[in-house]
Amino acid sequence: MRDKLPLIGGALLVIILIASASLFTVDQRQHAMVFQLGEIKEVIDEPGLKFKLPLIQNVRYFDKRILTMDTAEPERFITSEKKNVLVDHFVKWRIVDPRLYYESVAGDEARARTRLTQTVNAGLREEFGRRTVHDVVSGERELIMDQMRERADRDARTIGVQIVDVRLKRVDLPNEVSESVYRRMEAERKRVANELRSQGAAEAEKIRADADRQREVIVAEAYRSAQQVKGEGDAKATAIYAEAFGKNPSFYSFYRSLEAYRASFAGKEDVLVVDPSSDFFRFMKDAGGSVRN
Amino acid sequence: MSLNDPRWGGQGGDNDRDRNDGQRGDGNRGNNQGPPDLEEVWRDFNQRLTGMFGGKRQNRGMGGGGGGGDGGPQLPNFSFKQFGGGIGALLALAGVVWLASGIYTVDANQRGVVLRLGEYVQTTEPGLRWRLPYPFETHEIVDLTGVRTVEVGYRGSERNKVLRESLMLTDDENIINIQFAVQYVLKSPENYVFNNRFPDESVAQAAETAMREIVGKSRMDFVLYEGREEIAATAHDLMQRILDRYETGIQISRVTMQNAQPPEQVQAAFDDAVKAGQDRERQKNEGEAYANDVIPRARGTASRLIEEANAYRERVVANAEGEASRFNQVFAEYSRAPEVTRERMYIETMQEVMSNTSKVMIDAKGNGNLLFLPLDKLMQQAGGAGRPAGVAPEPQSAAALGSNAPALASDPRNRDLMRSRERGER
Repeated sequence: MRDKLPLIGGALLVIILIASASLFTVDQRQHAMVFQLGEIKEVIDEPGLKFKLPLIQNVRYFDKRILTMDTAEPERFITSEKKNVLVDHFVKWRIVDPRLYYESVAGDEARARTRLTQTVNAGLREEFGRRTVHDVVSGERELIMDQMRERADRDARTIGVQIVDVRLKRVDLPNEVSESVYRRMEAERKRVANELRSQGAAEAEKIRADADRQREVIVAEAYRSAQQVKGEGDAKATAIYAEAFGKNPSFYSFYRSLEAYRASFAGKEDVLVVDPSSDFFRFMKDAGGSVRN
Repeated sequence: MSLNDPRWGGQGGDNDRDRNDGQRGDGNRGNNQGPPDLEEVWRDFNQRLTGMFGGKRQNRGMGGGGGGGDGGPQLPNFSFKQFGGGIGALLALAGVVWLASGIYTVDANQRGVVLRLGEYVQTTEPGLRWRLPYPFETHEIVDLTGVRTVEVGYRGSERNKVLRESLMLTDDENIINIQFAVQYVLKSPENYVFNNRFPDESVAQAAETAMREIVGKSRMDFVLYEGREEIAATAHDLMQRILDRYETGIQISRVTMQNAQPPEQVQAAFDDAVKAGQDRERQKNEGEAYANDVIPRARGTASRLIEEANAYRERVVANAEGEASRFNQVFAEYSRAPEVTRERMYIETMQEVMSNTSKVMIDAKGNGNLLFLPLDKLMQQAGGAGRPAGVAPEPQSAAALGSNAPALASDPRNRDLMRSRERGER
């Protein structure tokens, strides 16, 4: 047994060697294509352990996963109102038919990308040319993406590729247009600001005017009540006077006049120029009071 | 595949070392029983072993820690001269090493994805795991719970803006500036590994396209002010739908709006509009303040008017009652002896008047018409402020001795009349 061991070992190695040359595994993530002397013998989509003839057959693998094509720089497209928009998008695609893929782009991903980019750009150009800026930005963005996906997919199938998705990222205005948008936004804000301020002024004025009105009304009403009250007082006083003085008007006149004289001539600064012939001085000439009549 | 794996280089180094350690073809091929070059075979085998650790063992995702691979097993150097008895043990050892190469560990926040002959068989939980060794099974480690973040429109901090990502058009054709972050976790490691070439990039792409689509459908004011949360939520859903369509195995956990602002070029105008809103409020408040000042004062004035009127009424009535009562009493006495009382009252009054005032007595009858009366002098002497008063040039009777003489109506006198009346009221 011991001397067989090298033999066994050698045999094992040989087996491994042959196996490694003729067996290969296909990963979940790959399509494999078996070439025999340059021509495609077999396309393998299922993962697992596969067999090939050593030396004369070789295997190429293609990615089965979803691949991304993301535009580096946004492209200019022209909308229906002849405006420029900058658009960038990405495309998710997947190799579904490796044979076709290999035959059309020689399995070269860069070539496939170029081809797909052309397709998608042509499609987008057409879609954008049919729509206004507003539609591509908001209204029909989804519609554009759906239609683009279908269109691009139809075309991509001819090179063995499925387009999983086409999505727009930026749909922006070029810089020179952006400037005018900014100016418009500014103008709008100014309008809003002015409106707000004038509204504020108007409302404040209204409040003030209303306050003034209330003040006037309150004071006037109070004045009215006050005058009423004063009138009541006057009326009552008048009634009292009339009741009292009406008993003898001539005496009232006399009594009241005397009081008035007293009140009128109350200080030294009042200068009376009197005539001795007046009633008051009748006794100054003779005790008989002859002036009296 | 996986040329982006940074550890390729290192593994490659292992490869080279193995080659250098191997025999340098020093002519022991004669002993060889096996027709193919054994060295070739070993090298190939070695390469495959290391290839399995290097190439097939990629740790995808963030953070290292894809444990296990510490280089291929170092095959002992031997020359075929000593190939005799050791070879059995050697083979056994190689077998053990080969089997042991199937051991790998999965950390708590990771999952292992195991492929058998390239086909996905299972996702393994954390712990020490064993799989069939290469070439039958391979595994990949996926970081699971580490929340990953994609920043759109900025990098690191909000000040570090990336304008080409953050400026977008709204429905009303305004431009706004949005910075947001998307956090995501993996919900399905196997989908994450198998379905997309660079799944993490899909998140950024989906984030950008979704946010722009939603902002494109919304009006500027909505995005900037009241609708931020709603926009984030809608974007969240749309991103998830997109990622699910690609079967990325990624779950968006949060979309946070860091910032939604007008572009810097128009920021000033926007700020001013916001200020204008505050100005409006301020002006209204000032108006209110004026009203709150004026109306209570008016109420105060009103109260004062009413109270004064009440006071007036009370006073007038009281005065009237007082005077009436006084008069009545005097009158009652007067009616008993009218003549005498009348005379007495007259004389008393005149006495009082005369004694209180300055007097100039002139007998005008004797002096003819020319009479010089230096009234101003008299006034000064009287010490008054110089008020000519009650000048009666030729009073005919006592009736003329009153401030109420209607015949005397010159301007100054009128003034005096007014004054004396005022005093009468006082």
